[in-house]
Amino acid sequence: MDSTITIEALLGIGMLLTALYLQAESFLDPMVRAVAVQSLLLAGLLLWLAYVDRDVDLVIVAALVVALRVAVIPYILQRQIRAFHWRAREVRAAHRVAGHALAAVALAIVAWFIFQETLAPALPDLPGIALPFVLLAEGLLLLATRTNTLAQVIGYIEEENAVVYAGVLFVAAFPLLIEMVVFLDVLGVILVAVILSFQRTVIGIPEEELMEELSG
Amino acid sequence: MDLSAAAVVVLQAGAVLLLAPLFAGIAARWKAWTESRTGPPVLQPYHDLVKYLRKEVVLPTGASRVFIAAPTVAFAAYVVISVVLPIATPYPIEVASLVDFLGGALLFGLAAVVTLLAAIDSGSNFPALGASRAVSFAALAEPTLIIVFFGVAVISGTNNPYVTNNVLASSLNAYLSPTHLLVMAAFFLLLLFETGKLPVESSGLGEFGMLDEGRTFEHSGRLLGLFRWNGWLKQFLLYAVFLNVFALPWGMLSQPTVAAAGFNLIVLAAKMLLLVVVLVFLEATLAKIRLFKIRDYLAVSFSLAILALFAFAVLGGA
Repeated sequence: MDSTITIEALLGIGMLLTALYLQAESFLDPMVRAVAVQSLLLAGLLLWLAYVDRDVDLVIVAALVVALRVAVIPYILQRQIRAFHWRAREVRAAHRVAGHALAAVALAIVAWFIFQETLAPALPDLPGIALPFVLLAEGLLLLATRTNTLAQVIGYIEEENAVVYAGVLFVAAFPLLIEMVVFLDVLGVILVAVILSFQRTVIGIPEEELMEELSG
Repeated sequence: MDLSAAAVVVLQAGAVLLLAPLFAGIAARWKAWTESRTGPPVLQPYHDLVKYLRKEVVLPTGASRVFIAAPTVAFAAYVVISVVLPIATPYPIEVASLVDFLGGALLFGLAAVVTLLAAIDSGSNFPALGASRAVSFAALAEPTLIIVFFGVAVISGTNNPYVTNNVLASSLNAYLSPTHLLVMAAFFLLLLFETGKLPVESSGLGEFGMLDEGRTFEHSGRLLGLFRWNGWLKQFLLYAVFLNVFALPWGMLSQPTVAAAGFNLIVLAAKMLLLVVVLVFLEATLAKIRLFKIRDYLAVSFSLAILALFAFAVLGGA
């Protein structure tokens, strides 16, 4: 294994580790930071590939990732956590660290087998090509197991990270397009979040119980 | 076996036996500094050991030969382990072919089992409680250990600590491969658990969260002394494996001479001081986790170990 692949592999496995951490973490604040770290690793991977392939597009994508997912989104999410006084802790998840961590690992293995059976034959045989798919599955698991909306948004960002990661690994020319689409996607989510926050500060939430229901 | 090779074996075993209490003493002293205490002298473990060996042995009523023999059997197991690991040499010394990684783990297991049997044999509640508690958690730690060995095996293609040391020391890519880093992390978590460090266990006296110390409550005199020594040996050996095989495999001379082995021991001592600094830092910064959270802690180390194998598979042999 040469050093190019070592660096790619380390960044990829690092992203997977943050995914594992996200599964096991029951507080929202560290989750936001963890997903920012994951995005930072993704940006690092993009920059590294930009350097290896001498591709300026990837630098732009990396800059977008850093601006949007390392800076803006975590900032907004953290503001939301404070503004909404949402449960900072997912109480129900608090006692299940072991279960969540092991479920994440089990899912990673299952996802890898599924990838090998379905997508792998159609894709180039690169080391770590299954990682984006595994990351996507981990994001899905986070969405499925958490009841807190903000935690689910974090799961969503993780999935988007996986999509960009897949774009850069599967087809080299793809990621700028994907990142643009994802950018709009995430912008939509943020708009909704900001409007909700605005509604709360200006008119309050008469249907608070209803909101609680929506959030959990 | 020629004279020089025999001397290396004796040197290695002797160094392990004699240096093990020293690092426990250094760690205790440095930890005291982080708490603004002067702390016990560095040589305190040796004084303790001499005191224990001189004291009268008191046996609980009904204790059998298991109770008396256990410390010695465990001690013997640790002496054997001390000559089969890459401690003073990067090449296998004369007797190292006795066991591989798995065999070493079995010897550690033997020492743990006889200690447990002795605790139960004492017929007293408290050691039995300590034993059952230790077993409940050790059972969760064991799968991690096995997976770590698998991880080592896939990195180096063998189950031999010397080969692993050589592979990792000679190839930076092998050292930086995710498989190795994850295995190392999992082993480090296991190391903290096995040596009773924070966040798993605080080393205060006789507290209820303790796992290791509870088992030897009924032992006294030289039997207790041997158990203490066993504890230091286990710690020293695990540190040595972690440093010389996983974390810092570099800097060992491979000439088959006593002088080279002595140099390697000095290098190991330097590495160990570094590790002690790290551990003291961890002990000073981490809080003890609740007893039932130890399960989570071990689940995380297990997850890391599994991920190591996963990384190997996904990255196509990296």
